[in-house]
Amino acid sequence: MSSESSKKRKPKVIRSDGAPAEGKRTRSDTEQEGKYYSEEAEVDLRDPGRDYELYKYTCQELQRLMAEIQDLKSRGGKDAAVEIEDRRIQSCVHFMTLKKLNRLAHIRLKKGRDQTHEAKQKVDAYHLQLQNLLYEVMHLQKEITKCLEFKSKHEEIDLVSLEEFYKEAPPDISKAEVTMGDPHQQTLARLDWELEQRKRLAEKYRECLSNKEKILKEIEVKKEYLSSLQPRLNSIMQASLPVQEYLFMPFDQAHKQYETARHLPPPLYVLFVQATAYGQACDKTLSVAIEGSVDEAKALFKPPEDSQDDESDSDAEEEQTTKRRRPTLGVQLDDKRKEMLKRHPLSVLLDLKCKDGSVLHLTFHYLMNLNIMTVKAKVTTTTELITPISAGDLLSPDSVLSCLYPGDHGKKTPNPANQYQFDKVGILTLRDYVLDLGHPYLWVQKLGGLHFPKEQPQHTVIADHSLSASHMETTMKLLKTRVQSRLALHKQFASLEHGIVPVTSDCHHLFPAKVVSRLVKWVTITHEDYTELHFTKDIVEAGLAEDTNLYYMALVERGTAKLQAAVVLNPGYSSIPPIFQLCLNWKGEKTNNNDDNIRAMESEVNVCYKELCGPRPGHQLLTNQLQRLCVLLDVYLETESHDDSVEGPKEFPQEKMCLRLFRGPSRMKPFKYNHPQGFFSHR
Amino acid sequence: MEVFQALQRLHMTIFSQSVSPCGKFLAAGNNYGQIAIFRYPCPCSPLSMSSGAWPSGGLMPPSSDTQAPLPFPFSLSAALSSEAKEESKKPMVTFQAHDGPVYSMVSTDRHLLSAGDGEVKAWLWAEILKKGCKELWRRQPPYRTSLEVPEINALLLMPKENLLILGGGDCQLHAMDLETGTFMWALRGHTDYIHCLALRERSPEVLSGGEDGAVRLWDLRTAKEVQTIEVYKHEECSRPHNGRWIGCLATDSDWMVCGGGPALTLWHLRSSTPTTVFPMRAPQKHVTFYQDLILSAGQGRCVNQWQLSGELKAQVPGSSPGLLSLSLNQQPAAPECKVLTAAGNSCRVDVFTNLGYRAFSLSF
Repeated sequence: MSSESSKKRKPKVIRSDGAPAEGKRTRSDTEQEGKYYSEEAEVDLRDPGRDYELYKYTCQELQRLMAEIQDLKSRGGKDAAVEIEDRRIQSCVHFMTLKKLNRLAHIRLKKGRDQTHEAKQKVDAYHLQLQNLLYEVMHLQKEITKCLEFKSKHEEIDLVSLEEFYKEAPPDISKAEVTMGDPHQQTLARLDWELEQRKRLAEKYRECLSNKEKILKEIEVKKEYLSSLQPRLNSIMQASLPVQEYLFMPFDQAHKQYETARHLPPPLYVLFVQATAYGQACDKTLSVAIEGSVDEAKALFKPPEDSQDDESDSDAEEEQTTKRRRPTLGVQLDDKRKEMLKRHPLSVLLDLKCKDGSVLHLTFHYLMNLNIMTVKAKVTTTTELITPISAGDLLSPDSVLSCLYPGDHGKKTPNPANQYQFDKVGILTLRDYVLDLGHPYLWVQKLGGLHFPKEQPQHTVIADHSLSASHMETTMKLLKTRVQSRLALHKQFASLEHGIVPVTSDCHHLFPAKVVSRLVKWVTITHEDYTELHFTKDIVEAGLAEDTNLYYMALVERGTAKLQAAVVLNPGYSSIPPIFQLCLNWKGEKTNNNDDNIRAMESEVNVCYKELCGPRPGHQLLTNQLQRLCVLLDVYLETESHDDSVEGPKEFPQEKMCLRLFRGPSRMKPFKYNHPQGFFSHR
Repeated sequence: MEVFQALQRLHMTIFSQSVSPCGKFLAAGNNYGQIAIFRYPCPCSPLSMSSGAWPSGGLMPPSSDTQAPLPFPFSLSAALSSEAKEESKKPMVTFQAHDGPVYSMVSTDRHLLSAGDGEVKAWLWAEILKKGCKELWRRQPPYRTSLEVPEINALLLMPKENLLILGGGDCQLHAMDLETGTFMWALRGHTDYIHCLALRERSPEVLSGGEDGAVRLWDLRTAKEVQTIEVYKHEECSRPHNGRWIGCLATDSDWMVCGGGPALTLWHLRSSTPTTVFPMRAPQKHVTFYQDLILSAGQGRCVNQWQLSGELKAQVPGSSPGLLSLSLNQQPAAPECKVLTAAGNSCRVDVFTNLGYRAFSLSF
C-alpha cells in the first residue's frame, strides 16, 4: 500500500518539478539534447530486467531511509538533525535514480510503440500484395477457361468422311504420311479438300444457270410461233363453215352447245350430258338444248370485286337511309326471298316425242341457293284438242308429272337443308312457289345427280353422274307412258262427258252386246267433296284418298235406279287403277255397308281390274271399268229377287243369261261375264 | 303394288272360322281362297262372368254341356297387353287353300277341313304352321255335270259316325266317310242351294236350311227326310221383301233357331211351331246357342245376344259392316283361350274376350 501511494505521489512530484525542469531545459537546450540522445542510446545498452531490480532496490532503500528519519525525529535528539540531513541527501540520490529510471521507461515505451507501428505497416503492405496476386490468378483462370471454350468455325462445316477423303483427295492435299498421326494437320487437310470441292461445284452451278437461260429463250421463241398459229386456224374454221352446212354435219353447232354447257351449274351439266348420251344411244326421240343467257352465267363466276365496293357503298347508303326506310322491312325480306329462290340463268330443255306426235317439253332449272333442281312441263299435241271440262287438270303443267314415282308430289323441297334456309327468310314451304319455279320432284334431283339423304341436313351435295345415269332410262320411259296415258285419258274424258263410254273394238269381248245402263254424268270433284261423301269412308280410312289424286263423280242410270260412283284417279294411272266407290239409289240407299252385292260390284271393278286393262299398255282401263259398271248394274237390277207381295210386273225383266241367281253364304249375284257363250256366272 | 294390296284387303270377306283341336289357334278363310292361322292371345286370369238368370218358363232343356254357366274369361290387362303387340294380331301363317272363296271350315281332332269351290280339302293341324304346307287329301262330291261347279256352303261333322256332311250348290246333302274318304249317299229334297247345316245330337238327325226357304230334317239311319218346315209360309216370321232364304240354323235337339230372309225365329221342333220371333230387321247370317243365350250376327256391325223369350239382351258392336260367322272357342284343352270371335265383310276378325265388348281385332 505504501509503495502504491508513493507511486501516486511520484508523478505529482515530477509535475511539481516539471515546470522548473522545463524552464531549465529551455535554458540549456544543447546540453539536454545531447543528454537525451545519450539516454536514448543508453536504453539500448541497459537490461530492463536489471533496471527493474534497481528500481526495487532504490524503493526499498528509500523506505528504509524514510523509516530511519521518522525514527530519528520521534527520538528527537540533537545529532538527529545531522543524521537526518545525511539521510535526506541519501534519499535525494535515490530519487535521482528513480527519475532516471522513469525516463528510461518512457523512452522504452516510445521505442516499443514505434517498433510495433513499423511492423504493422509492413504487414499491411504484404497483405495488399497478396490481394493483387489473388486477383491476377483469378483473371488468368478466366482467360484459360475462355480459351478452352473457344470453337472453331470449321467444326460447322460438313466434311466428307475420313475414308472417302483418303480415297479421293489427291496426295498433295491429303499428305497421308503427315496427317495420319496428327489430327490437327488432318483436319486442315480435309478442310483444304472441302474448299477445293466447293469451288468445283460452284463452277458447275454457274454452267447450269447459263444453260437454263438458253432453254428459256428457246421456249419463248416457240411460244411466239404457236400464238401466231391460232388466228390462222380460226380463219380456216371460219372458211369451213359453209362446207359443214352444205354437208349437213352440225359439228360446229354441237361444239357450240358443249361450249355453253361448260357454263351450266354441275347438276344441270350432269343432266345435260346424261340426257344427251341417253338420247344418242337409246332414244332418238329425245332432244336436248340449253336455254338462257351465257353472259349472265359467266358473270356469276367473275370474282365479285366491284360488287364488294358497291356493297360497302350501299351499306353506307343504307345506314344513312335506314332511319327513313325502317317501315319497309317487309320489302327487304321479300328481296331476300327472291335472292334465295334465284334460278341459274341457264336451263336445260328436254323435248320428248311420243309415237303419236305429241311432245313433252321439260324445262329444268337449277335453284342456286337452295341447291335443288326444278322442272316445268308442257305437253303439245299435233292436233288441237277439244278440252273437256273434267280434263282440266290432266295436262296442266302443275299436275301432269305429279307422282311419277309413288309419293313424289313435287311440292316439298327434297333438300333437308332448305328448311333452315326458309326459316331465316320466313318461307313456310316451297309449295307456294312451285308454280313460278317449277316442281322439285325427286326424280329431277336424281337426273341431275343430286342425292339427298332422308332427314339429314347436309350442305355438301355433289352432282353425281352415275346416279343420273342409273335413273335416266326408267324416268324417260315413265315420262313417255305418263304423257301417253294422260293423252288417252284426255280423249276418254271428252267422250265420257257426253255420256258415251268409248269402248274400243279390241275390248268388245269383255262386255255383252246389250248394255242397258247408261253413263249420265262425268264430272270432276274436289278432294274435299270426295272425303265428305258418306260412302267413301273406307277409301279415306285406308289412306288411298290423297290430295294429289284426281277425283271424279260418275252417275250411271237405268230406269229409276241411279248408281253414283266416286272415282279416285291416281296420277300413276294406268299402272295404278282408278278406285270406284258405289252408292245405289233404288229402293233405298245401298252401299257396301249394307249390301254385299254392292261390295262385290266394287271389288269387281277395283280388284279384278286386270282383265279390264285391254291391250297394252292398258290406257283403256277407265273406260272399261265404267262399261263394266254399267253391266254390273244391269245384272244387279235384273237378278234382284222379285217381291211376291207387290203387284205388277218387275221393273227390270231378266234379260241376261244366268246359270244361278245366288251363290254362297253372302248370296252373290252372277257378275262374271263369260265371253263367247255370253252367259253370266259367279266368280 | 301397295295400292292393289290395300284394295284387296278392303274388299276381303272372311267367310269361315274354325278353332284348332288344341284350342290355341284359329283358322279363318276368306273370299280369295286363303286360310290364315291366328294364335289366340291368351288372357292370363280367367274370371267368371255372371251369365244372368235362367229365363222364366223353363225354356232351356237340360243339356249335356250346360250344367253350370261356363266361366267366360276376360282380362283387361291381357287385352290391353295384346293390344300393345301389333305383331300378335297378324296371322302366323297365310296360305292359298282354294281357288275360290273358303265358305266353310271344321276341325276334327287332327284335321282342318275346308271347303268352298266344290272341293273339300283336309289339312293336318300338326303341320299347318309349317311353310309350304300341302293338303292331306282333297275330295269332290259326285256332282251332275254342269257349266258351273257347285259350291259347298256348309260342312257338318258327325263324330260318332265319323261322317262329314256337305251341303251346297247342288241342293243335296252329301255324306262322306272320313275313314275311307268315299261318298256314301246323297240326300235330295231341297229345291235351291243349301246355306246351312245343324246336327240334332240326341236323335241322329241333320237339319238343313236352304235358299228355297225350307228347313228340312233328315234321319241319318234311314237316310230319309222326316220333316219339313217352310219358314216363309209362317206369317209371324215371313218377310217377302228380304226373300225366303234360310241363312243360318242352330239346334239343341228340342229347339231350333233359324233366320235369313225371314226373321230370326225360335222353333219347337216336335210341334214345328214358331215360339219366339226375335225383333231384328237385318237378315241374320249366323246363329248359335250359348248357355241360356242365343247369339246371332248378320247384316250390321253388332253381335246380338238374345234371351230365349225374345228380348234383346245386348248388342255388341264389332269392326266389320256385316258379320258372316261367329266362333266360340270352347276347346277344353285351352280354357284360357275361351273367347268369341266374329268375322265378316272385312279383313278383320273381332275378338270378344268378354261377351260384353270387343277387345281388339285380328287382321289378315
